[in-house]
Formats: sequence, C-alpha cells, structure tokens
Amino acid sequence: MTVYIIRRLLYTVPIVVGVLLLTFFLFSVVGGDISQQIAGKNADAETIAEIRHEYGFDKPLFWSLDSQFIDHFRKALTFNFGRALDREKISDKILRGVGPSLSLTVPMFLGTLVLSISLALMVAFVRGSWLDVAAVVLCVAGMSIPYLSFIIYGQYIFAYKLGMFPIMYMPEESLLTSLALPVLIGIAAGLGGNLRFYRTIVLDEMRSDYVRTAFAKGLSTSKVLFKHVLKNALIPIITSVVLSIPYLFLGSLLLERFFGIPGLGSLMIEAIASRDFFIINAMTFIFSLLIVVFTLLTDICYAWADPRIKLE
Amino acid sequence: MNRLQPQTKTARTCWKRRGIYSCLVLTLLAASCRPKESSSKAEILFQQRSRAKIQTLDPAQIGDVPTDEVSREFFETLYYYHYLKRPYQLVPQLAAQMPEISEDGCTYTIRIRPDVYFHDAPCFPGGKGRNVTAEDFIYAWKRIADVKTASKNWWIFDGRIVGLNEFREYTKTCEKGRVDYSRLVEGLEALEPHLLRIRLIRPWPQLIFWLAHVPTAPMAREAVEYYGDEIRNHAVGTGPFVLKKWVKGSYIEAVRNPSYRPDFYPTEGMPEDAEQGLLADAGLPVPFIDRIIWRIIEEDQPRWLMFMRGRIDINSIPKDNFGQAVAFGKTLTEDMKKKGIRLQTYIEPNVFYVSFNMSDPVLGPNKPLRLAINYAIDREKFIELLMNGRGIVAHGFISPAMEDYDPNIVQVSRSVFDLEKARTWLREAERIHGGPIPRLRLAVGGTDTTYRQIAQYFQRNIQEIGLQVQIEVFDWPTFLEKMRTNQLQLIGGTGWMADYPDTESFLQVFYGPNAPWPNSSNYSSPEFDRLYEQIRVLPPSPERTRLYRQAERLVIEDMPVAFVYHRIGYILYHDWVGNFKPNAYKAECMGGGFAKYYRIDPDKRRAYWKQYE
Repeated sequence: MTVYIIRRLLYTVPIVVGVLLLTFFLFSVVGGDISQQIAGKNADAETIAEIRHEYGFDKPLFWSLDSQFIDHFRKALTFNFGRALDREKISDKILRGVGPSLSLTVPMFLGTLVLSISLALMVAFVRGSWLDVAAVVLCVAGMSIPYLSFIIYGQYIFAYKLGMFPIMYMPEESLLTSLALPVLIGIAAGLGGNLRFYRTIVLDEMRSDYVRTAFAKGLSTSKVLFKHVLKNALIPIITSVVLSIPYLFLGSLLLERFFGIPGLGSLMIEAIASRDFFIINAMTFIFSLLIVVFTLLTDICYAWADPRIKLE
Repeated sequence: MNRLQPQTKTARTCWKRRGIYSCLVLTLLAASCRPKESSSKAEILFQQRSRAKIQTLDPAQIGDVPTDEVSREFFETLYYYHYLKRPYQLVPQLAAQMPEISEDGCTYTIRIRPDVYFHDAPCFPGGKGRNVTAEDFIYAWKRIADVKTASKNWWIFDGRIVGLNEFREYTKTCEKGRVDYSRLVEGLEALEPHLLRIRLIRPWPQLIFWLAHVPTAPMAREAVEYYGDEIRNHAVGTGPFVLKKWVKGSYIEAVRNPSYRPDFYPTEGMPEDAEQGLLADAGLPVPFIDRIIWRIIEEDQPRWLMFMRGRIDINSIPKDNFGQAVAFGKTLTEDMKKKGIRLQTYIEPNVFYVSFNMSDPVLGPNKPLRLAINYAIDREKFIELLMNGRGIVAHGFISPAMEDYDPNIVQVSRSVFDLEKARTWLREAERIHGGPIPRLRLAVGGTDTTYRQIAQYFQRNIQEIGLQVQIEVFDWPTFLEKMRTNQLQLIGGTGWMADYPDTESFLQVFYGPNAPWPNSSNYSSPEFDRLYEQIRVLPPSPERTRLYRQAERLVIEDMPVAFVYHRIGYILYHDWVGNFKPNAYKAECMGGGFAKYYRIDPDKRRAYWKQYE
C-alpha cells in the first residue's frame, strides 16, 4: 500500500503543474493586466504604473527568471498568494474564511450524511409502505425546490416570523446560535437528493441473500442494518462522502451570502464579482490540491472498507 | 404489503422513540439559539448596516461610499457639513475657524484646534494619542502624493498645490518606505504647530469641500510607520468613536472615544428643525451613544428582516419591499406607522441619463439620431416602474438639490416623451446616415436584475420608433474597461452623484479632457470646455450661477446624453432613533460622521423587541 500511496502522490505533480499552467493561462494571459481596475476609476498613469510594478504586471510573461510565469509557480508552491485587489493578503483572507465556512459546511455535511443514511436505512427497511412512498415523494419535492427558496423561506419563517434563530450570523453570539439555522436549512435542502441516493444503495444490499440469512438467524433489525447492510454499502457511500469533503472548503455560496457568514463562499462570490483573479487563482489551486488528496484518500478507504480490494 | 422482512412491533416502537428524541433535541437546539439582547441596559448601542464590505480604514485608499461613511466616525477633517442647516453649509471641524483666503484665491491659512488628539494606540508613547498639529495634515497629503502609496485619491490634489507634483516626481526615484517626508513642499507649510498654510497653483474654490473629504484627514506618521501596510486595518483618527473590532466582511464595532475633545450638539438649524424636536438637545455634549455596530448585509432580504425585527435602527427600502413600506409612493403604510417606523425623503444631488458615445461613428455625428432616442424615452413610466416613484424627471444635469438649480430649465428641456417627434427625428437621422440606422448596442454596468430591467426598458423604448437595439450586460470592472477603450455605444442608467454641494462637480462629467472617465459620453465642446475652465476658478457668486446654467443649456442643446431622472432618497428609521436628519451627501445614512448627534431610546427599542420577537 505504501508504494501505491507514493506512486499516487507522485502522480499529483503533473496534475498540479497542469492546474498551474491552466490557471496561469486563464488569469495571467487571457485575464491580463488589471492594474487599472485596482487603481480605481480616477487613477493617473503613474499610480497605475506603480500598481503594475507592485503586482508584477510589468514583468515579462515567460522568458525570464523573474517572469510572471515563474512568479505564479513560486507563489502557489509556497502558498504565498500575494495580495488581493483590496491590498489585503490573500492568505489572511483564506485563513479567516476557513473557520466560518467549515463551521457551516461540516455540521451541514455530517448532519445530512447521518440523517440521510439513517432515514435511507429506515425507508429501505419498510420499502413499499406508505412511509417509503411518502419519503420518496418528499425527496423528489425537496430536490425540485430551488436551494434559494429553502434559504429565503427558511430565514423568513424560522428566524423572522417564529423568532427561533437569529436572522443572520452574529459574530458576538456563539457559533451554535449564529449557524444553527443555516446548517438546518442546508441539511433540509440536501436531504432529498442524498436520501434518494442512499436509499437506492441500501435497497440493492437489502435484496442480497446474506440479509435474509441474517434475519433468519434471528439477528436484531439494528444489527442487520447497521452492521451488515451498512458495511456492505460502504463503497459507494465512501466515494460520495470523501469526494464531497473538498467542497466543504469552498463554503456555501448562497447560505453565506444570505446569512452574512464571512466564509470562503462569500470570498469567492466577491472575487468573481470584482474580477479578483488573484483570489480566484489561489482558491482554484487549493481546491485542486484538495481534490487530488481526497481522491487518494478515497482509494485508501476502499481498501479499508472492503478487504477484497488491494492497492498495488 | 411488499416488504423484504416482516417488521416487529419492537422495531417500530424503537423508531418512534428515536423520532421523538430527535424532535426534542431540535426543539432544545432552537430554544438555545434564540438571539440574546446584544447590549447591556446601561450601554447605548446604535445598530447600523452596510450593503457592501468595508474595504480599508486607510484614508489614502478610501474610494467607495460605504467605506467613506463608516470611516467618518473614526476620522475627522478640517471642515464638515453643518448637521442641520440647509442648503448644505461647511463649518469648522478640526479647524478653529473658516480659512483665511487671500484675495487672489491662491493662499489658504487655516488655524487648527489645539485640543484635538489622535485615538489612543500602541504606536504612541505610553499608548496615549498625541495632539494633532498642522504637520499631520501635511504628512497625510504628502502620503497621498507619494507614488509608492498608490493612493486612489491623488487625483484630488493633482496639479493643485504648489510643489506637491514635484514631491510626487521625487517619490518616483525612491524605494518604497524610503521617501523623505521631511522634504519641503512649497505649498504646504506649518507656520505654527496649529497653523497651516496651503498655496495653490491657481484658484480652486472647491478646495474647501475637499477639506471635508475623508482622504484629507490628518494621519499620524507614527501610526503609518508602526503598522506599515497593515495601517489599512487600524483607524488611528481623531473621531468620536474608536475601532474596537473588525470581523472582515461581517461586522465592525466602534466604541466611544474616551479622550474625545468637548463637542456639542448644534444650537442652530432650519425653522422646521425646532418643530421636529431636532433642536431639543442644542448645546448638549455629544456623542449620546456608546457603541456602534455595522453589520455587513449584502442581500436585501436579511437587511430588511433585521430592520423589521429592530436589530437595525436605520435602513433604506429594498425595491421588493417598497409596497410594504410606502403607500402610493408617498407616505408610510399603516402597518409601518403602527410599528413606530418613520420615513424621511430628500432629493439626492445626482442625475441619471442614457449616455451617447460621441466618438461613435453612428451616434457622434448624428444629432437627429440622439434626439430621436431622447424623445423615445418615457421617463415618467421609468420612474414609476423601475424606481417605485423614487425620482423626478431630469431636464438637465443640475439637481434640484443644488443651489444653482435653474427653475426655468423646463422651458428648454428635451426630457419629453413624444413618439411622433422621435419618429420625425429618426427620418432625418436616416437621411444623414444615408440609410437605415444599423443595430445599436446598449450597455449597462451591472449584472443584477435591476440593471437588466433598466436595459430592457430603454431597449423597448428605443425599439418603439423602429430602431434595433442589442443589450450588453457587463460587470462593473468590464464595463469600466470597455468605457476606457471606447468600445461602448449607448450606456443605459449611468449617472453622476455630486461629491460636494457645488455644481462644478457635475460639470466635470462633460469636460472634454475628462473623457472617457468621468466624461463617459466623450463629449467635446470647445465652448463648454472654455466655460468650465472659466467657472472652476470662480468663487460662489450670481455670475457663477449664471455661467453654470449656461453650461447646462449648452449640454442640453448638444445632447451628448439624454437626461432621465434625479433620484429621491427614502430612508426609514425606528422611533427610538432621535435627532435623525439625513444628509444627501451621505445618502446611505450609515453614520457619515453624524452618529455622534443621534440619540437612542433603549427602553423603546427593548419594548419593540419584546413585542415583535
């Protein structure tokens, strides 16, 4: 397995280089010089020239040791992404955003996962009953309602009308208080799709002979479901779960925006709206790294979950 | 029943029990999440909001409205607007009196109050803020001139002060951080510690307004050197509030400055101010509040809900909630009145128009085409439909909020919706063009729904007379870039907000050398330019007003833009906010340096919370 991991880690090198080439082409070659934008609408030529110098737009694109191309690689590999359009360090912005984003997305992710798997086991167990039908109908309805509607109505009803939660993120309040509603909304919005997905997986397992055998041997329902069915259904669950983890770092664009959560989702929206290529570039690079790492982790988890799988 | 395995009663009971437990946990969670009261009874909190992120707290870099308004609570300037008097009047703030201006209008001598201190900060010995002197103003302005600062505000001073451009040239030769700020600038002298002399290259009557603009606030050199590039995160000013906490992108908290100089509520105002109780606190020491919180809320819905819940004290009206707040576009609805919410309206010093690119080969040489488009625009409908009635038809560029507004402008106005006239002019335009007019491109500088609706409205208006129009929707940076590179043809819904109460601010928009920004129509008229150059050095006088109006008529005649509307500001506030009077130059009403005059009745607010939460 060690050899496999080392080999997979070595594969990441060309992937990372490819990502860096692509981002350089997109943001530096096509995107071009945005010093005018940084300087503001009333800036004179000298201020713009100073900003070009500060951000390195006056360096040659490729053919120099001090080129923008080399600079791009150096910045990414040292995780020193320089400054954003508003002159703040990008690393500071990202570090500041990681906490609120993960505080929102991790409980949302875990909540959705636990609830949807538990409910999937439950409705699969009573497959064909009114409960199962109702669950499927609700899942389809939940998937059909736009995410934005969950947010707008959730915020209006539970925070404003019923007053159960703060209307938005309050830094002076505890995280639990501030983030409970967006987390619950996120879970509710994600439940439909996830529940249907896991229900299908569990149903496939429930049809297996070993389940019938287990029940015939007199094992309790929870033992059959959680110990046998769930374990055998783990491979597709792992694929879905582990590969979702990198997205947690991106935050939740809409939830963060509507609840005023200063996370990475907010940061990305702001960067896109203001064409802050420096931030978009840094986030793209970090995200691609996370994808690479978590894909490797998925493979390792496969071997752990199913002893028949050998990593060579 | 088609089940894989039979269910036992025990299993069902078990699931039920788990369901009940889950509901209980959720109920407990909801109960623990109820918002707490965010201020103690003794402390007076003012709850504010911002619809955009606060970018920086370095006055040299401040260039957007929300940042300007928030920073005004930390930074003060030599002069500022009288809180109550209208038309807007400048009064000394850090200056001890109004400036002495030489006869030729080129030398300003300003005495500075001796009792002004910077906020306490670790950059000062013992952490105690030191006295502000004339040198702190000179340093702040030299810093803006320093090319290494890359200030967004250099254009204010460019070519104005004797020796400052030379200083800028010198800074180009220096490494960053190696600029010698003790180098003399002839036009900026500290005659005494508290006496400042400014010498101008030529008369600049608008200087006084710029001395009320936050980038001209004094800066402590120690603070800039101590914090370096991080000065953007530290507000070391002289204002009535000091920065306590800044959660970037989410929240700013300011508390009363314990060493603020004695300052008092104005004793004079307008006749109606006394009736409205705005002079009840005359002569009392300010500020009345202890703490301000600005929440950054970019979306309309949460901002509105926070206001309706009483968690924001002052708010503008989002367009989707206008009907809920205002009846027939004029007064508050009964529901709002019942909640004790109040409304103030005021004409903003701005003008919005459809801009014609005068260097475009189709539009530029064809005035009849511009006239045809102008007469095709139904302004009244636009204001009703897209502005919820919050505007008045613009006949020229001078807003009715300005003293120089021409009450007879309507006589020469072309802001008339007349499809017959439009079609007649279009026939003439086609004759000049030598055939049918090709499809026109109409650009807007924003991608949200409002901008798209504006573009669609003008497109429909113009197509009504038989022209073809293609809409181009750009984000703001792309839009600016296209404008600079002369790639736009028609621009919809663009406009200009006066920086200060002098009509000169509007004239910049049509001055030839200012193309393509702020002169986005690339209008070039030697007659207008000559007039502008003559006016801009004139002090206020009836003669100057006459020339302003003459310049306005010239623009109406040449038609580089089709004027559409002047916006009316609508601002809501709860009845626990006392002494509230909006200032049209701080239209967001986020503070703007006036928060020290507001009074908050915490008991009234607490009662509201109790009733509506």
